[in-house]
Amino acid sequence: MFYFRASQVSKQYLKYLPLIWSGIWRKPGRTALVILQVAVAFALFGVLQGMKSGMDRVIANTRADVLFVGPSNQGGAPLPMSYFERLEAIQGMKDVTYADGLLGTYQKPNQVVYALAIPPTAIWVTLVPEIFQVSPEALEALRKTRDGALITTDIGKKYGWHIGDRIPFTSNTLQSNGSGTWTFQIVGTMIDREPGEAGLIVFNYEYLNEARALNKGTVRNFYAVISDPRRAAAMSELIDHAFSNSSNETTTGSFRENAQQQMRSIGDLNFLIRSVIGAVLVALLFSITTIMMQTIRERTPELAVLKTLGFGDRAIFLVVVGESLLVCAVAAVIGLSLAAGVFPYTAKFVPGLSMPLSVIGFGMLGAVLVALITAAPPATRAARLQVVDALAGR
Amino acid sequence: MQIAKQFRALLYLNLASIPARLGLACTIVIGVACAVGVLVSMLAMGVGARQEAMGNVSPNRATLTSVDAPSPVQSNIAQDDATLIRNLPGIRRNAAGKPIVVFQVTIFIQARSRTDHTQTGFPLIGMTPGLRDYQPELHITAGRMFSPGLHELIASNKCVQQYTDFGVGSRRHMQGGEWRVVGNFDLASTVCLLFGDGDTILSAFGRNTYNQANVMLETPAAFATLAGALKANPALHLKVQHEAEIFQQNMAQLNGILDFVAYFVGAIMALAATIGAANSLYAMIDGRRRELAILRAVGFNATPIIASVVSESVLLALPGALLGAFLAWLLFNGLLTGPFGNSFHMAVTPSLALLGLGWALGIGTMAGLLPALRAARVPVTVAMRAA
Repeated sequence: MFYFRASQVSKQYLKYLPLIWSGIWRKPGRTALVILQVAVAFALFGVLQGMKSGMDRVIANTRADVLFVGPSNQGGAPLPMSYFERLEAIQGMKDVTYADGLLGTYQKPNQVVYALAIPPTAIWVTLVPEIFQVSPEALEALRKTRDGALITTDIGKKYGWHIGDRIPFTSNTLQSNGSGTWTFQIVGTMIDREPGEAGLIVFNYEYLNEARALNKGTVRNFYAVISDPRRAAAMSELIDHAFSNSSNETTTGSFRENAQQQMRSIGDLNFLIRSVIGAVLVALLFSITTIMMQTIRERTPELAVLKTLGFGDRAIFLVVVGESLLVCAVAAVIGLSLAAGVFPYTAKFVPGLSMPLSVIGFGMLGAVLVALITAAPPATRAARLQVVDALAGR
Repeated sequence: MQIAKQFRALLYLNLASIPARLGLACTIVIGVACAVGVLVSMLAMGVGARQEAMGNVSPNRATLTSVDAPSPVQSNIAQDDATLIRNLPGIRRNAAGKPIVVFQVTIFIQARSRTDHTQTGFPLIGMTPGLRDYQPELHITAGRMFSPGLHELIASNKCVQQYTDFGVGSRRHMQGGEWRVVGNFDLASTVCLLFGDGDTILSAFGRNTYNQANVMLETPAAFATLAGALKANPALHLKVQHEAEIFQQNMAQLNGILDFVAYFVGAIMALAATIGAANSLYAMIDGRRRELAILRAVGFNATPIIASVVSESVLLALPGALLGAFLAWLLFNGLLTGPFGNSFHMAVTPSLALLGLGWALGIGTMAGLLPALRAARVPVTVAMRAA
């Protein structure tokens, strides 16, 4: 019994569908333009809000428990290795590692490669897997070969390198014997998602430190993993304080904080983004309402006929709202898809950036609201139509 | 002649019919106002930044850097070359008869703000004696000038506003030493500036080269003399640039980003406004089909009809642009904004309003074209049918 009634209700609504459909395509050109306009507006919303929310999410996903310890003035002297023990001795410290590197060119001066020098310890497997991913096997291979190097598949393809190859680099970092040529033996692969023009390879810190002429016993920076990510700011300050009053002062910040600083630019434009979205919405609401109003005005005789045939005020109201809902939803889907299509390109600059589902959900909700608001005045007008007046052309 | 007459009559007719279709006409005005308003306000950021940074640029000032350095920060000038540079021709002399040359070293400092614990970066600029002669507009608002040879700093008022510990009397810890802020000053810039004694900073940071040499020219024309002298002395390995050029270089990245965002968002909004306006015009034309058919029947040509519809569209778009520019001025002119670590006031200028009018002209024309063609093609038979 209940089933019967439910199906009857849905049937009652289903019969409106052809009516809604023919209403939408009454003037195909007009509807196409409306869809286009709404789609463009939602594409803009998707790009702006998507960037903002996407950046926030990237920051939230960045590890807060890894501190980057570097020299306090950019381009300043590297940090002494002796800091390693001092960092490890700080209470609340879980693990410490370090990195250095050299900038080299392969065969041609414009084929720049950055060679990152690390100690092949297990900490690197889990340090920043979303940007730099290395397997325990690859690290083991690096440990066994003093001049071994790990490459990305991209750079391997670019220069035709294979595991087992020996590759020579030319660098400004000179060896003790005065030579600027560094030779590496490729022993494995890793994944690097850091954006940048230059390619990246990874090799043993020991090889770099023993062979280089200058800066022996120093590193570019340390990575300090702390046990409590909530204490990141306090620990950073503790570290910087420990090395103040020395000739190698440090500046320490968690990965998350550094990401925050790099992406603060977008946050600074937050106010502007909101203003833009507000302006878009005002223009859109006014434009669509007016066009729909005009459409209803033009359709007065048709609506009057429908009413004469027995369609109630409520039915007419629902038909008009239905048209608006369908048009706005389709347009929003088109617009948000366009916006989502932009994100694979931006991921090249900000690793891990993608269109957040919440923005799509919020956009669709916005589309429904736009549809309801714009449809309200014309639908009310249509519902209140007096058949006699309408047919008389009043 | 006939066409012009017809055009005038048609335009009058079109405009007279606007009150009857006020909603649709308003759509065009509001759509254009929003698009132009957004474009103008976003461009006002770049204009404001430029105005604030370039406010005191003088044609009398020039900067020497290494020939191959893409920017002053990457340039190196040996301390030993200082005397040679001071004796170059074309450089103005101060009251004491000494050439006005100030050597500058710029070091980017990373520091943690003591209030919110965020990291901040700002340039520490070392200047050799003569800063007062080189930049007479540098206005000390509190305290005094730093003394050569001491660990003393002066900070611009932008630093005081943005960060903590830049007021007179504050102490800052750098390179194992304590530096005292002895003065605050005003100088055109979008970022916090921190000045100290050039040679003291060189030795504190273990450097032995300056980045650039700032010179005051005898006259703006003396630039050529100086450039010629540098060319004749390739051993110095230096080039000279106007102060304006250096500032423009420094601003290029910020301006590039701001302008890109402004034109990107502005173009999308203009597209939406164009589509909306076209739709409104189509609806207006549809409502006047009979009238247009009658006009065609009594001998009006297609050209004046097209011209009159496009003109109507433009005439609706232009006030929209003025409204948008006015709103941008009302809401954002003079507003302090701080993207990318800068801080400056947005500036909505008449030239930006003019640019907005130009965009409105484009939007109006594009939006009017297709509906105008439809208006010109209304078959005469429509006039004969009963409504």
